[in-house]
Amino acid sequence: CRDPGEHGPSLCILADSREICSGPEVLSCLRAVHGLRVQVCSLGTSDYIVSNRLAVDRVLQSELQSPGNRNKLSQRLQHLQGVFERICVIVETDRVRPGETSRCFQRTQYYDGVLSALVQAGIRILFSSCQEETAALLKELALLEHRKDAAIQVPTEPEGHRRDLLSFYLSIPNLSYGAALNLCHSFGSITAVANSSVPALAAGARLSRPQAEELQRFLRHDFDLQLLPQPLPAKGK
Amino acid sequence: PVTAGSIVVPYGHVIGNEKWRGSELAQRLQGKVRLIFEDDLGLVDFHLPNRTCILLISEADLVAGDEFKRRLVRFRNASSLRGIVIVEKTQISDQYYLGVQKLVVLELGMVLLPVANQGEASQLIIQLVSFCVREQSRDRGANPFLGRQRARPAEPALLQAVQRVPGVGRAKALLLLQRFGSIHRLCNAAVQELEQVVGQTVAQQIYTF
Repeated sequence: CRDPGEHGPSLCILADSREICSGPEVLSCLRAVHGLRVQVCSLGTSDYIVSNRLAVDRVLQSELQSPGNRNKLSQRLQHLQGVFERICVIVETDRVRPGETSRCFQRTQYYDGVLSALVQAGIRILFSSCQEETAALLKELALLEHRKDAAIQVPTEPEGHRRDLLSFYLSIPNLSYGAALNLCHSFGSITAVANSSVPALAAGARLSRPQAEELQRFLRHDFDLQLLPQPLPAKGK
Repeated sequence: PVTAGSIVVPYGHVIGNEKWRGSELAQRLQGKVRLIFEDDLGLVDFHLPNRTCILLISEADLVAGDEFKRRLVRFRNASSLRGIVIVEKTQISDQYYLGVQKLVVLELGMVLLPVANQGEASQLIIQLVSFCVREQSRDRGANPFLGRQRARPAEPALLQAVQRVPGVGRAKALLLLQRFGSIHRLCNAAVQELEQVVGQTVAQQIYTF
C-alpha cells in the first residue's frame, strides 16, 4: 500500500460549504499544511466526509454545554447514522476573541450526560483545542481510513452529463455524497445502476450491504400516489 | 494480571479497584453510585455495568513517561470489554494530550475523555453509570444520538429524484411515476412507451439520460 503522503494521489476530504465561514482555518490548514485535496461542496448532512464510510462533525464545546442545542445535534447525528457506517465528532474548544479574557470552562452535568450518550451510541469523539488541531485530526482520520482501504478515490468534480447524474443520485434518501460520486464513476448510466444486483451496487458505490439493499429498494419502489403528502407541497420545497 | 471480563456488574453499581479506596474520587462517587471495592482488577480502575471498563490516567502518569501506554495496550489486547480511558488534562499534562488521543482513539479504537481533576472524573463516571441505568429501564429510545430508522414513505423522494432528469418538472414526473411505477421500470422503458406519456423531445431526453 502506498503512502499517500509521499507519492501517488493525495488524500481527499469533502467539506461542507458552510465550513468556509465557520472553519476557514481548518480548510486552509488541510490544504496548505497537510497537502490534502479539499473539495468544498454542499454536503448538508455533515461538516466533513473523510472516506467512503466516515463522516465527521465539528462541534464547539459551548454547543455541547447548552441544552438548547440538544435537539438540533441529535437530529443531525441520527440522520448521519442512517447514511454513514462510522461517525466521529470533533469537540473543538471555543475561540477566545481578542479583548476577551479566557472564559473558564464550567463543566456541567449536562455536558457529561451528552458525552455519555455519544459514547453509548458508538460515536467516536475527538477533542481539539483550535481549528489547526482539528485539521490535523481530520488528516489523521483520512490517513487511517486510507490504510483501511476506504479512502475516497474517485474524481470529486464530475463534469457534463455526470454532473446531472450526480444531482440525480444526491436526491436519493440516505445516500451519502461520497456514494453518489462512486455511483457516477462506477456506472455508465442510471439504468445500469437500476439493473444491478445488491452485491454489484455495494461494490460499485462502496456501500455496506444493508445500504446497498436500501438503495435497490428505493430504485424498485412502486410509486403510490396516495402516499404523497396532501396537500402537495409547493414547488421547490 | 488482566481480569478480562468475567465480572458482572449489577445495574447502578460500580466495582472499583482496591487502590482507589479512600481517594477523593471514591469519596465523591459514594452516595451517588453503589461502589464496591475488589482486589484483583488488574489493569482496570473501575468496572461499570454494560460491559464497560474505565482506565484512569492521571497527570502524574502522563508526566512519568510511557508506562501508561503499555497498560492501555495490554488492556486492549487482553479484554473484549469496552474500554473508556479518562485522562487528567491539566495545564501541565496538556502537551501530552494529542499524542495520547492519537494512541487511544485512532490506534487502539478506545474512547478517550479528558477531565481536569478527580472531581470532574467522578461526575463523569456518575453520568456514565446513570446513563446505563436509564438506557436499561427506558428501552433504547432513551439515547438521543442513536439512529432510529423511521419508515418514511419513499414517494416524495421518488418524485424529487425523477425531477432531476433534464426536461422533467413536477407534472411530468408525476405522470411518469404513475405510468411506470418505479425508477427501475422507468429506466428500462422504450422510447415509444415514454412517448405515450410525454412529448417526443422529452422522451428522447429521458431515454438518453
